[in-house]
Amino acid sequence: MSPRRAETGGRIDRLRTIRFTFDGTPYTGYAGDTLASALLANGVTLFGRSFKYHRPRGVLTAGVEEPNALVTVLRGEVREPNIAATMVEIYDGLVAVSQNRFPSLAWDVNAINQLGGKILSAGFYYKTFMGPVIGPLKGTRFWMFCEHFIRRAAGLGRAGTTADPERYERMNAFCDVLVVGSGPAGLMAARAAADQGQRVILCELEPNFGGSANWSRETIDGTPAADWAARAIGQLEGHDNVRLLPRTTVWGYYDGNTLAALERVTDHKEAPARGEPRHRYWAIRARSVVLATGSFERPLVFPGNDRPGVMLAHASERYANEYGVLPGDRIALFTNNDSAYRSALALKNAGAAIVAIIDVRQELSGEMRKLATEAEAEILSAHAVVATEGGKALSGLKVQRFDMVSGALTGDARSIHADCLLMSGGWSPTIHLASQAGASAEWDAARQAFLPPRPTQKWVGAGAFTGSFSTAEAIAEGRTAGLSAAGATGAPTALPVVEGAPGDPDPAPVFEIKAKGKSFVDFQHDVTAEDVRLAHREGFVSVEHLKRYTTLGMATDQGKSSNVPGLAIMAEALGKPIPEVGTTRFRPPYSAVSIGSLAAERFGDLKPERLTPMHDWHIANGATMYSAGLWYRPMIYGLAGETIEQAYVREAKATRDSAGIVDVSTLGKIAVQGPDAAEFLDRVYTNMFSTLAVGKARYGLMLREDGLAFDDGTTWRLGEQDFLMTTTTANAGKVMQHLEYFLDVIWPELKVTVTSVTDEWAGAAIGGPNARAILAACVKGTAVDNATLPFMGIVRGEIADVPVMICRLSFSGEMAFEVYSGAGYGTHVWEALIGAGKPFGLVTYGLEALGTMRIEKGHVTGAEIDGRTTARDLHLDWMLSKKKPFIGSAMMDREGLIAPDRLQLVGLVSLDNRPLNGGAHIVEELDEANPHDSIGHITACCYSPALGKHIALALVSGGKARHGTRAFVSDPLRNRFGPIEIVSNHFYDPDGSRMHG
Amino acid sequence: MVERQSPIEPELHPGSHGNFEHGVEIILTETRPGSILQLAAWPGEEKRLMAGIRTVTGLALPDGAGGGIADGVKAVFGFAPGKFTVVDDAEGLASAFAGVITPAIGTVTDLSHGRTAIRIAGPKAEWVLAKFFAIDFALPAFPVGAGRSTTHHDVFAQIQRTGADQFDIYVFRSFARSFWKALCHASEEVGYEVQ
Amino acid sequence: MLITCPYCGPRDVIEFTYQGDGNRQRPQPASQDLDAWNAYVYDRLNPAGDHNEIWQHSGGCRAHLRVVRNTLTHEISSSGFARGDHKAARHKLEAKS
Repeated sequence: MSPRRAETGGRIDRLRTIRFTFDGTPYTGYAGDTLASALLANGVTLFGRSFKYHRPRGVLTAGVEEPNALVTVLRGEVREPNIAATMVEIYDGLVAVSQNRFPSLAWDVNAINQLGGKILSAGFYYKTFMGPVIGPLKGTRFWMFCEHFIRRAAGLGRAGTTADPERYERMNAFCDVLVVGSGPAGLMAARAAADQGQRVILCELEPNFGGSANWSRETIDGTPAADWAARAIGQLEGHDNVRLLPRTTVWGYYDGNTLAALERVTDHKEAPARGEPRHRYWAIRARSVVLATGSFERPLVFPGNDRPGVMLAHASERYANEYGVLPGDRIALFTNNDSAYRSALALKNAGAAIVAIIDVRQELSGEMRKLATEAEAEILSAHAVVATEGGKALSGLKVQRFDMVSGALTGDARSIHADCLLMSGGWSPTIHLASQAGASAEWDAARQAFLPPRPTQKWVGAGAFTGSFSTAEAIAEGRTAGLSAAGATGAPTALPVVEGAPGDPDPAPVFEIKAKGKSFVDFQHDVTAEDVRLAHREGFVSVEHLKRYTTLGMATDQGKSSNVPGLAIMAEALGKPIPEVGTTRFRPPYSAVSIGSLAAERFGDLKPERLTPMHDWHIANGATMYSAGLWYRPMIYGLAGETIEQAYVREAKATRDSAGIVDVSTLGKIAVQGPDAAEFLDRVYTNMFSTLAVGKARYGLMLREDGLAFDDGTTWRLGEQDFLMTTTTANAGKVMQHLEYFLDVIWPELKVTVTSVTDEWAGAAIGGPNARAILAACVKGTAVDNATLPFMGIVRGEIADVPVMICRLSFSGEMAFEVYSGAGYGTHVWEALIGAGKPFGLVTYGLEALGTMRIEKGHVTGAEIDGRTTARDLHLDWMLSKKKPFIGSAMMDREGLIAPDRLQLVGLVSLDNRPLNGGAHIVEELDEANPHDSIGHITACCYSPALGKHIALALVSGGKARHGTRAFVSDPLRNRFGPIEIVSNHFYDPDGSRMHG
Repeated sequence: MVERQSPIEPELHPGSHGNFEHGVEIILTETRPGSILQLAAWPGEEKRLMAGIRTVTGLALPDGAGGGIADGVKAVFGFAPGKFTVVDDAEGLASAFAGVITPAIGTVTDLSHGRTAIRIAGPKAEWVLAKFFAIDFALPAFPVGAGRSTTHHDVFAQIQRTGADQFDIYVFRSFARSFWKALCHASEEVGYEVQ
Repeated sequence: MLITCPYCGPRDVIEFTYQGDGNRQRPQPASQDLDAWNAYVYDRLNPAGDHNEIWQHSGGCRAHLRVVRNTLTHEISSSGFARGDHKAARHKLEAKS
């Protein structure tokens, strides 16, 4: 027989039929089913193929820890692999497919790997991909070739290549008490905290709140536990200080009680509502946390424990009680503890026959014997399962007498006919979050489990998480934890009364039955008990090494079911008790997290970007935009059919012939105000600013504390105590922080305010022989002649009825002016300047032409001020005042910083008339085959329309002394070699007659 | 008088958007105040600066970090130690302060063009803002009138709560369009109206 | 990680910029003592335990804070404005070492 749906029972909605497909076959289920429960109800036993051996696998669990039943869910063109079928809620139109099989799940060619089990043992990858060290294939790429096929055969689902169209969001939340888990403990804690008026968030990773109450069949306060839980949730919903988050997995516990959670908002829906995100990443800052995360049932390790039809005992209880699904008709149980007896009774009550309860223990309590009798089950005490039978479904099992102390198997094997084997190897508290939060877990010999560490952050535990496995304890601890998290004590009140099956929480210390055959420890990574022992024999005795060598616990389930059995087997091999072997620390995430939810809104179109006031004008007028950091700036304003080089050469040439205008709004601008502003600038700049007259600007250089060059720009004195500093676009933020640091930390006595005013001002730089005439044509309220507006002078006036500030300064080497207006007037002023420039043939130019003209003029930018160059290297030593100390002055003259062979700024001219490349090296002797002995490198290059040559700026060792000499570019990556001449960086108008005009 | 250009204008589409069939729960507006100033007091001069603000605007600032007040036309709030943002619907507020905040008290910086003011209002305002900023928007933690300085990725924001479910957000002008688009996107799931 | 800004309250670490070892002592601006400058620019304490650090609340009020943070546990035992309390913070650290 196969699994089937019982006539009655379960918490599914039998009136709502859901249609879905698995591997192309249409199936139906009911609303409330998971993919696992619906497939089981349809008699499906085979869910997937295993990682290495391609063994048939069924479903092992009913929850998040599922290692076997992994599927790929398809939504349109988008595929999401490796989802546990136990966590997929079915919806109409769901399309799921199995994984790691070819050509089909039932007939899989790689199942032949099962025969080669010896080869695919622990450390397979390490041993295999070293490549042959002897023989004819030594040193060849043969293994690289084989690896491709081997890697294809082993593995999980295949990721899609289609862009994910779904929306993901991030959410920040604050609360007094975060409760993780909504079983009886979590519900009690949430209610206790909420009643204290605390802001509470309750997260439950499953669709339904209630945890074990949903399937335990216990009664609480005289009503079925599930109804009690539903009522508790109803009460919590009535509180406006409570936020309930179903389908929300808390997956990370970080410093400062910051927790990360993933809410699956629409995965269970046919289609999201408009604007609804698929996943929400919750960053929760909680004053305190209640961990009520429950526990995981452990498998037992015995030969054939991975055959479809072998399932965890409590999982079958969940299938029967929550979904009305019987995992088999003739069911056997194999256990080392009491909890399986309750499962037996649940399955019996749901309509299955319990053929046997195989218990490793000799002594069984009267209570357990009574439960077995109620379940009409034969008890085989001091027995163990030594084999399972069947192909893609279980047909039977073999048992033998078992001595729990020695591990010895004796007597003849007896066959038992069964279509389902339930196992229970004890319970492990789900301590992942507590482990992430700090200290390591402690082994409890009675519970045979790691119990949560002492809190290093503000959390309290409750229920099965603490090793208190009974519902009555969970309820009591939950209430106490909720009150304690709320900082209250609360008057003692009567707690809800629980009636349920009795049971001893302590299992027998049995993890493995050593018999012939593959006994799986880690189902998902196909790690067997023998692999663990092999790793030990090969010297991997540390638990951390064991994990990495065997890959135990490193699959997508992160060893939720395999960690403790694996450790126990390792401990036995080492001859040490388990606590001495230790355990690995859990790290986030607790379970798989979508990358989309981490990227959230900082992705694609929603990435923050900065636009200048004239942005739309640039776009409308044909600019090709270029992203510079977060800014968007025109690169060229290309004409039809022009290449980038043709466009910038045209723009630069027209500027030098007549006039050009460029948007310089992105330059960093900082208002430096206050009685000590001039003194402050004297300290941060290498040159003097206190001597600067009001209405004048000065070019300034800043060094870092270590004496290297930091940033440059002009600073304008607008008033006695009012300066406007400009910085390079790229360094605006850094310079601001630099100034703030010195004002706040080093010189708090200075009365200076610094404010970013970058966005306050729109800036247009207009330069060229006709620039002044164009300004004169449109500026009102001031003259712009040489007397009124000398080089580095500032005037205020109006353009097109808008107030402007004009400073005469030059970056291009031409007579040039920067025109600043309020940003909201930027386009208005820009258009007025363009209009005034029309008769003069004024061109708009972009970053390429700007770069070209600055290279021709030999000005430095970030390419040369690269954090390794000094003022002297850049020939800016004339700016180093000797009259005052300034930031960097004490360190700038250190031996290494004044050595004559330092890289110094030079100009280069290409002698073969071919373009130069940024980053290319300069050598004295060309050796294309074996490039060596670089004397420097190119920092910026262009075709110079002014010189009619390909030129570059470069940093060359002892560069100044090399003016007039020849060398070579050596650029093997781009295969560019050729002769160059080293010259001064001032290619164009070296005496400045054009800009001083 | 030349009208100031809004950085948001091309992306400002009045009407209802997103999942609004069951009603809009967010209203987004660009408030376009005439004046946005930043006032800073030298240490020890905070009280005199606050008195100056009261003289010019008539608004009495409450004591304490992030304290603020708004009257529908003018608004003021603290955003950093000794520093305040003062907003007025009318232009020209900077000159009104010129003789009041003397160099002995502190400085006045005009940011009327440099910051863009966006108002988000409605029952889901806290919900939508929580998608952007890692600060607590609940009323007890963030009372009406109060101001906060925070950041969304690279977008600096000063936020003043101007009603139980209304916030005025001041962002750098260059980021305003990008931030506005993100705000609209985040409001889609609850339905929003642009006014 | 959360850092408590004395002005803004507890904020996520994403709003802050680390601005270096808070034990550095900047020599007088005119000092020519290269050893002192070298110590200021390059020497860092790097303790395993409580560390005196400077953080800027760059994504908030932009004030600089003196923060004592345990480099092993990330626990922050104190934070205050960098302005004015220079000496107090140093004493605290010296007393521990």
